[in-house]
Amino acid sequence: MRGALTLCLLLLAATLAALMLGQVRLSPVLLWQGLSDGEGPGALVLGTIRGPRVLTALGAGAVLGLSGALFQTLFRNPLAAPDIMGFTAGAGLTIIAAIALGLSLPMPLLAAGGGLVAALLVALLSQRRGHATPPLTMILVGLGIGFIASALSSFLLTLLPHTQAAEAQRWLTGSLAARDWSHVAQVWLIGALLAALALAQLRRLAALELGEDLAAGLGLRVGPARMALAGTALLLAAAGVAVAGPVPFIALMSGPLGARITGAQRLPGRMLAAAGTGALVLVVADLAARAALPGIQLPAGVMTGLLGAPYLLWRLSREMEKGEL
Amino acid sequence: MTLDLQTADTLLAGLLAETLSLGYAERPVISELSLELPRGEMTAILGPNGCGKSTLLRAMARLLEPSAGRVLLDGEDIHRRDTRALAREMAILPQSPIAPEGITVADLVKRGRTPWRGLFTPWREEDARACAEALAAVQMTEFAERPIGELSGGQRQRAWIALVLAQGAPLLLLDEPTTYLDLVHQIDVLALLRRRNREAGLTVISVLHDLNLAARFSDRLVLLGRDGLVATGAPWDVLTPANLQTAFGLAARVDPDPVTGTPMIIPL
Repeated sequence: MRGALTLCLLLLAATLAALMLGQVRLSPVLLWQGLSDGEGPGALVLGTIRGPRVLTALGAGAVLGLSGALFQTLFRNPLAAPDIMGFTAGAGLTIIAAIALGLSLPMPLLAAGGGLVAALLVALLSQRRGHATPPLTMILVGLGIGFIASALSSFLLTLLPHTQAAEAQRWLTGSLAARDWSHVAQVWLIGALLAALALAQLRRLAALELGEDLAAGLGLRVGPARMALAGTALLLAAAGVAVAGPVPFIALMSGPLGARITGAQRLPGRMLAAAGTGALVLVVADLAARAALPGIQLPAGVMTGLLGAPYLLWRLSREMEKGEL
Repeated sequence: MTLDLQTADTLLAGLLAETLSLGYAERPVISELSLELPRGEMTAILGPNGCGKSTLLRAMARLLEPSAGRVLLDGEDIHRRDTRALAREMAILPQSPIAPEGITVADLVKRGRTPWRGLFTPWREEDARACAEALAAVQMTEFAERPIGELSGGQRQRAWIALVLAQGAPLLLLDEPTTYLDLVHQIDVLALLRRRNREAGLTVISVLHDLNLAARFSDRLVLLGRDGLVATGAPWDVLTPANLQTAFGLAARVDPDPVTGTPMIIPL
């Protein structure tokens, strides 16, 4: 309980800081004015720039964090996250491709389609006849698919006119610049629906977490149950990518970090902690990216990359020590 | 006539393998094996490594689809049963299951109630009772709030058994439940299963390695060799020097265990 409170307080503090800090600093008084009366300079900054930006970051971070925790639990491997397994890169690729080809389809649909294709490729390529696929095989195949998707995205960037390419490049790094209220509504609505869907499947996930044989013995139809959960997690990741780009490492880090912060052990608690931590990390990363160097606005993905890469290395070394790699 | 009907009835109450073939066509692990395991008995499946003990157990647990033949539970093909309904009838403990990190014994055991809970079914008193009883049966009540990772190997195995006991199925299949346990804990686990078998009428079918322990704790043995079923029946009928020679290529004497009178194998 105390852990959950800690996470909530951290989230609140990070959100307030993200609303107040930036090129134009808002004092607490101005922030309060802006929030309560909708007047003054605070209202302008909050209403058009930072408000939607911070709320989009919270939503996108939460869906990515939840998605990562779902995949990690489902595959029983802390490296099984949509950003490691190439799903977010696939989602990013379709969006860049649509921009390059001048297609105007809704971003969430594009992201979901790209993520789905990447996931299907991973599943197909890592399949071995007559044997269950070890999660590590899928993770490594996913890593490869991710590299291919990123390379294709980079290639498509070269086809774009200069200004457009720069913007698309930022977006591919994972950026929350120039988000508006439609992004907020989109990620929160889709996110809430998918989160409800995921929560409804938690009992099945709890059985699957014990291994396929036990899950089957407990009365689950393992194949369909896994598919439904993986599908939900995939769509959650796509919902995040659609508004924030393929921000790296949020999905990978949030589950374990959330469990560490809150001390949550039961499955529902761990999932909520992962969502909360995803939101926290992305808001803080975005704040750091735009406020760290005066005059320079970095994409949030640069910061999550700086945070996430060391975590990945540490995680890999731990897995090697355990003999899992 | 009446006698025949009665036999047919008793045969039906339990697990029945009917000309079961397992594995791939080019490399059959088990071929055309037939077996009757009546309810209320404690059965051990024995045999050398690689003879298909676990494969047979997995097929009877519906974790593996037979390439030919059927497995019947009380006369009904298990592959035709609804998955959840079957899970209320039989529980399965695979070999060396891996617990999620940080999970407590209580949380683990709770998951045994999965087949009894729908999407919107709240946690009911009967669920709590089943879990409490399962924990008491394996003498783990005081460890309920401890993370599994902090327990000893024997305690951990008891926690897993509590999970399948909480499932409340009258039939329990276990794949090598005593592997990696020291002798004390092996006896501990088997005695606990025997107690549930005697007191609650639980049907227990497990794959075991130790012949002497299997003989001591079983009503029925199923002895497999490299070429399929060698013998099945009461321990004294199965563990004969001739059968041990066929199944394991082992020259051995079989004497009565001075403590229990069950067959005891002495390799020559």
